[in-house]
Amino acid sequence: MSSIDMTICKPLSGQNTRWLSGVLLSGWVCCVCANPFNPDISLILDGIYKTENTALSEYESGFGLGHTELSMRGAVDDQFYGSLSAVLESHAGATEVELEEVYINTIGLPAGLDIRAGRFLSQIGYLNSHHTHSDLFTERPAVYRALLGAHYFDDGVRMNVLLPTPFYWRMGVEAFNGRLLTGGESTDDIGVYTLNSRWGGDFLGSNSWQLGVSWLKNWHDPVEEAEDHDDGEDGHDPDGHAHSHDAAYSGENMFIADAVWKWAPHGNAQLGQLILAGEYFYVDDLNEYATDDDFNEGWYASVVYRFNPRWSAGVRYGNVELKEIHGDHFHDQQLEEGNVMLAWSPSHFSTVRLQYTNQQGEGFDELNDAITLQYVMSLGAHGAHEF
Amino acid sequence: MNFKAMPVLLFFISWLGVAPAAANLEVLTCEPEWAALAQALGGDKVKAESATTAFQDPHHIEARPSLIVKARRADMLFCTGAELEVGWLPLLLQKSTNAKIQPDQSGYFLAAEQVDLIEKPVSVDRSQGDVHADGNPHVHWDPYRLLTIAVAFRDRLQVIDPENDDYYQRRYEAFASRWSDAITGWEARAASLQGVKVFVHHKNWSYLLDWLKVEAVGDLEPKPGIPPTGAHLSRLLNTYKHSAPMMTLIANYQDDKGALWLRDRAGIPVVSLPFTVGGSETSTDLFTLYDDVLTQLLAVP
Repeated sequence: MSSIDMTICKPLSGQNTRWLSGVLLSGWVCCVCANPFNPDISLILDGIYKTENTALSEYESGFGLGHTELSMRGAVDDQFYGSLSAVLESHAGATEVELEEVYINTIGLPAGLDIRAGRFLSQIGYLNSHHTHSDLFTERPAVYRALLGAHYFDDGVRMNVLLPTPFYWRMGVEAFNGRLLTGGESTDDIGVYTLNSRWGGDFLGSNSWQLGVSWLKNWHDPVEEAEDHDDGEDGHDPDGHAHSHDAAYSGENMFIADAVWKWAPHGNAQLGQLILAGEYFYVDDLNEYATDDDFNEGWYASVVYRFNPRWSAGVRYGNVELKEIHGDHFHDQQLEEGNVMLAWSPSHFSTVRLQYTNQQGEGFDELNDAITLQYVMSLGAHGAHEF
Repeated sequence: MNFKAMPVLLFFISWLGVAPAAANLEVLTCEPEWAALAQALGGDKVKAESATTAFQDPHHIEARPSLIVKARRADMLFCTGAELEVGWLPLLLQKSTNAKIQPDQSGYFLAAEQVDLIEKPVSVDRSQGDVHADGNPHVHWDPYRLLTIAVAFRDRLQVIDPENDDYYQRRYEAFASRWSDAITGWEARAASLQGVKVFVHHKNWSYLLDWLKVEAVGDLEPKPGIPPTGAHLSRLLNTYKHSAPMMTLIANYQDDKGALWLRDRAGIPVVSLPFTVGGSETSTDLFTLYDDVLTQLLAVP
């Protein structure tokens, strides 16, 4: 691409200008000179109103702001690109800026290799590597909120290899500091390792699928007897989960299996799309007192159907069974959550979502039914559609 | 313990299986029209494949696993550019880990960079809808621009595969001569369309209409990329109460509800056209695509 061409304003030839709706054109018209040296900048505006507090939720009842996200990304040179996503969150009157992703990534290493370093979202599971503003429900499934702090990002390094197979097969390994998973102390520099393998493809022209398995090894100290996560009371404890991204439950080994199936008429997702997704989590070796019977386990399954370009509706159901650490023993907790949502997207860049959440379970104080109204809007650079 | 070691084992085993090198130059195109052009110019030295079909809106594609696999093994990428694929191509390129097809490499070829674009907005603001700052990207509907793109693509093939530069030159000459003859034929056939007024669903026919001197007097989309609304369609009808356009043009992958509404209200015929190669049974290459579209336009009473 010639970068010079793009910054020079070209004349528009007269025969072609009559078409420009409502714009008077004559002679020289300065283009909007896209500058290839500037990074793409985008801003996500996310706001929420929720009728009740719910267990393990990131959001309190009432009006609130979600993840206001400012991102910049672009190529550093022909070998690297860089990305930054800063999330602004407001809790109890205080505004926090959190660097969610700040990383550099290689471009086009040989043999399908790909290396990323810095702070980034781990690629375990299906949803975790997606930015929350592309989610189809107002909050992540309960199993994500309990075991990954809604989304797990950390400081570390990743190496992926895209295998030269006729179908999609990517394998990857990540090494993380680990502090941002549990918030605990560690004597090791590298507290978390992950392994991930992902397969995918298309069939019959209208269907796409993806399967993944992940393993997360956590050398970190387990989450301590936590006085602030056992009852879902939010807002007044500075370390409460209301705005901490630490996982409330942890263990030495986490296994995740995920599956996604998408269908669109003729593969044309513009008119309509059906998305089925499900994930299963299993966490064991919770601490030194844990027996073989002590493990955390959870799953969710969701169906979302966009029945025309503007409207989509979806149902999600999930269950998570947890062991709350109390010194040398555990208390059982269980949370069963169902969500029904309806979303309206007048354009590609805006969504207003209404969601009903039903919670049942034991061991949580704030098991409630709640209605949530949310908007998610994006300004600036066109976001990419991750599968 | 064995179970836990499995992924590591698989990781290393898989390193051993490296695919044999392809004999032909593999060209991944973003749209079918460029696959048709690349195949026409590359002949049996090139294997061209499109990432999308004629029934998919190239604005709205996901960088899904099957496309990442195709991008990984491609020797060349041939796309429209001008932000048409902005929602998925950058991500696809990142995920492909393929150095040959990254921007600024010789394996990265954009049609829109070879020609001047029309409908360049003076300012870009999302309130105007999904507008492209660089101009209207649907350049394959101007046969003259298409020929300019063919010249540039031939040059690029000769850079990437210099051993066969004579072959590419001969293929180009054959294509250009056949295409120029076809243009003469099409222009003669379509002379009666000059000055005809039409509605369009989306601004994707602008180059074709400019070439044929057909006048698009209204868009069914209130703003580019924004689906038609009842209020907007009523406004269109009111404006053209006394001089109703002859037809509404839509691409056959687009939602036809708005166009059918206008037909039922005002009797404006709907012409649902293949937008690119493969969009109809007869549109098997660029020549038959143009033929088919002209035949359908001329068939409107």
